[in-house]
Amino acid sequence: MSVTLKEHQQMLHQMVVEFSRKEIKPLDMLIDKQKGYPKALWDKIVETGFLGLIVPKSFGGADFDPIAEAQTIFDIASNNASVAFTLEGHYKTVDQLKKYGKETLKNKYLPQANKRIFGFGSTEPQGGSNVMGHTASAVKEGDYWILNGNKTMITNGGLAEVYLVLLKTSENELTCFLVDKDMPGFKYGKQEDFFGMRGTPVGEIFLENVKVTDDYMVGKIGDGIRIGDNAHYDARINMGAIAAGICQHALDIVLDYATERKALNKPIIDLFSIQNKITEIAIAKETTQLLYEEAAKLKSQDKPYDKVSTMAKSYGSRAAFSACDHALQVLGGYGYSNEYPVEHLLRDARALQIAEGSLEKMVIEISKSVQSERV
Amino acid sequence: MKKVDCMTHKNIWIVAEHHQDIIQPVTKQLITKANQIKDDKKVTVILFQTKEQKLEQQLLNYGPDEIITVCDDRLKEAPDSLIADLLSQLNHKFQPNSILFGATVIGRSISARLQAKLLTGLTADCLDLKFEENLLIQIKPSYGDNIMCEIVCPNNYPQMATVRPNVFMATEIQNKETKVVIMNDMNFKEDKRITVYEEIPLLSKSDSIANADRVIALGRGMSGEEHINKASRLATKLGAKIGVTRPLTDLPSFSVDDQIGQSGSSIAPKLLITLGVHGAVQFTTGITKSKYIVAINNNPKAPIFDIADYGFVGDAKSFVEALLKLIQ
Amino acid sequence: MSLHIVVCVKQVPVSNNLKIDPITKNMMRSSEPGIMNPFDQNALEAALKLKERFDAKVTLLSMGPKNFEITLRQGLAMGADDAILLSSRGFGGADTLATGYVLSQAIKAIQNVNLVFFGRQSIDADTGQVGPIVAELLGWPQVTYISQINSIDEKSIEAVRLMEHMQQSIKVKLPAVFTVRSELNVPRYPSPRSIMLSYQKEIKVWDEHSFELDLNRIGIQGSPTVVRKVWNPTKVDKETELLGEDPESAARKLLQVLRARDII
Repeated sequence: MSVTLKEHQQMLHQMVVEFSRKEIKPLDMLIDKQKGYPKALWDKIVETGFLGLIVPKSFGGADFDPIAEAQTIFDIASNNASVAFTLEGHYKTVDQLKKYGKETLKNKYLPQANKRIFGFGSTEPQGGSNVMGHTASAVKEGDYWILNGNKTMITNGGLAEVYLVLLKTSENELTCFLVDKDMPGFKYGKQEDFFGMRGTPVGEIFLENVKVTDDYMVGKIGDGIRIGDNAHYDARINMGAIAAGICQHALDIVLDYATERKALNKPIIDLFSIQNKITEIAIAKETTQLLYEEAAKLKSQDKPYDKVSTMAKSYGSRAAFSACDHALQVLGGYGYSNEYPVEHLLRDARALQIAEGSLEKMVIEISKSVQSERV
Repeated sequence: MKKVDCMTHKNIWIVAEHHQDIIQPVTKQLITKANQIKDDKKVTVILFQTKEQKLEQQLLNYGPDEIITVCDDRLKEAPDSLIADLLSQLNHKFQPNSILFGATVIGRSISARLQAKLLTGLTADCLDLKFEENLLIQIKPSYGDNIMCEIVCPNNYPQMATVRPNVFMATEIQNKETKVVIMNDMNFKEDKRITVYEEIPLLSKSDSIANADRVIALGRGMSGEEHINKASRLATKLGAKIGVTRPLTDLPSFSVDDQIGQSGSSIAPKLLITLGVHGAVQFTTGITKSKYIVAINNNPKAPIFDIADYGFVGDAKSFVEALLKLIQ
Repeated sequence: MSLHIVVCVKQVPVSNNLKIDPITKNMMRSSEPGIMNPFDQNALEAALKLKERFDAKVTLLSMGPKNFEITLRQGLAMGADDAILLSSRGFGGADTLATGYVLSQAIKAIQNVNLVFFGRQSIDADTGQVGPIVAELLGWPQVTYISQINSIDEKSIEAVRLMEHMQQSIKVKLPAVFTVRSELNVPRYPSPRSIMLSYQKEIKVWDEHSFELDLNRIGIQGSPTVVRKVWNPTKVDKETELLGEDPESAARKLLQVLRARDII
């Protein structure tokens, strides 16, 4: 860890570590096998107040900073990546509401963010990264905006009840609106059946002539792309934390296994080839952690953090996948087995190269960023 | 009140504990120990009982010099404060040198209350006791690490101590005269603020390991639900009870009641098999009275092997599986 | 109904490997990270549950060095309203009697306290004495080793006391002192919000002049018991007979030995 935690952050960290170890870790494999969170676990997560982590105090939340937020995601992801991913999706959405929502909207919805899960709807069936190719729309009619369209691949889609969505208000403009599942015209669509992160629901929503007032516009007309980008930058800090958490989880499993498992009467941890893999996993975790912590620090200081957070995800997603691959190899036949936790770590890690912007998109963004620094 | 060699303060008192008409082993163990260390002092058992109980009969074979008994039906379901007050009256009358209690729920609750009444010292969980003339030396281990302490109460009477069950051994004595004194004019200061209105006997787990003949102790090397289940099966087959080291009390299947050692129970079984137990001093102080100790641990340097009669250096889990196969 | 509940808590080391000061023979409370004694967490949880049901104020009370503040902060994060730390050189070196005296005087100074909770024992000293001592010095009834609290009205509480061989159902009029077992409840996790807000709550620090105390009854001078000697016991190494090279032969040998010794 490259951050010295202040006392309140340390106390939070202690609580999250204990909670994750006692409540989440024992259910790690079950969440993957059952493709979802046991209700008792999710109720406990909500009851303990995790949803309100970054909601301001005046709205009933905990008001923690980006460093504490990332640390929390890391601690949880070290025990189960899906729960961390769900919280990441929630936090990034709440963050945009905080930054861009009108007072009236914040007064109404930030308190609800302590209890109801939020999701961010950007991707559409015909495309993800190419947002200007989207068709979901918002059309002004008198005092109301009429919202139509469908958004897919939403993290927490199906479980989340409040969504920030990016809608075309004109051919060249994307604008962000808040919708609530209780609004007439809102429908849940299909749930994805994914290869990993199987605890996190990912799904689509349909908007059929949903009517909202101006208050429900988040930011100004045309701010959609900017808000979407910011959502990504915020998310990527936590995605880096998830990647590092998965590496940590893999490291814990490998160390336990290699100290007990014997070959020729000696624990296999004595073997160079195993030590090699342990080193790779440990470095993967450490480097990814340094990146996301740096991004979190920059965000806390109100400095630009887009490049570093994007790097955290770009690097971390690949490092985590590679680390899990090493871990699987260490456990050999057991690594390949459904009865051991390693294989689902590998599947969870793979998602990170796609969610919140594909690897390829990361390349474009980072190189653009680096070039602009030269000017 | 400095200690002087005087004719008073020559009694060692043991406050007897009984449940369902049976005197508890710890009382008998304390009588035996007191007899061994008394020098020129007298060993007296203080016995609170109802009118029809004749529990002093159970004490005679352990050879106290004297039994002072208060027989009153108000002693049934008496709250701690009433007993402490009666003891305080007796203390005032007889001025004992020391008062010993079993370190049990009731022993600890009453002794501490009495300590505050008498403004004297009380040392809990002593592992050994001895006298230097009138001074009671109270020996106990200290907070982890291999350290023992001698504690004394140099300026106050009575000197008080509690001792856990099975730290000492009880031995019967033949042909010893015990004087029985019945106290009739005690002042029963009933406290209307507290009522014990029901007592339900339990067959609790903690009773089981403290008195069990065979115990299997599980340490960190055996954590994991699958392995605990296998160990339980082994215990059933061997007619043994399961005890654990402190780290395992965090697991859902166990609690502080199953803990063996300094902060848990002292056990004195004929056979103790330790599985994946390192043998830290906090654990071993609870097992020294075991007859045969069999230790299984991966680490040949584990301190458990310093006190084990038999050992296997290897994986405890595989050992359990192998043993289970043989016993089928 | 307005209740004022005091929960006496202690900070204990995370690990149990403590050092003894060779001169004073007392435990050296270092700056090692500490946690709230687990049984005290059960006690606090019980108080917080009562706070939720009734209009109750929960005050944490602790005697110890300044670094006990972190444990008090954790208790505030769980939901206690305020905290008092009794901290002074003069309180140091206290045995259970001196500790109980200082705590009971502080409780008297707080005034209008209806109920005092303790954990059944601390996991470092393990004596379980301070609760009953405080009860006696306050002149209040005590119920120790509580595993269940069944009902409470404005004047009395019904609780179950769990002993080794039986359980007692007890009804007691307030004010009273309770010590609790871990079976009573599962302590709550402090919520992130609660952790953040705990820094707005007050931890008062009192020394020996802040409230009424007979200075002869505190600290070392108020402790009838004294540690007069510490030593490392010499280990008696037993000769351990090894059972075998692999699990199967070791298991076989063990059964052989047990049969030979008439154990099974």
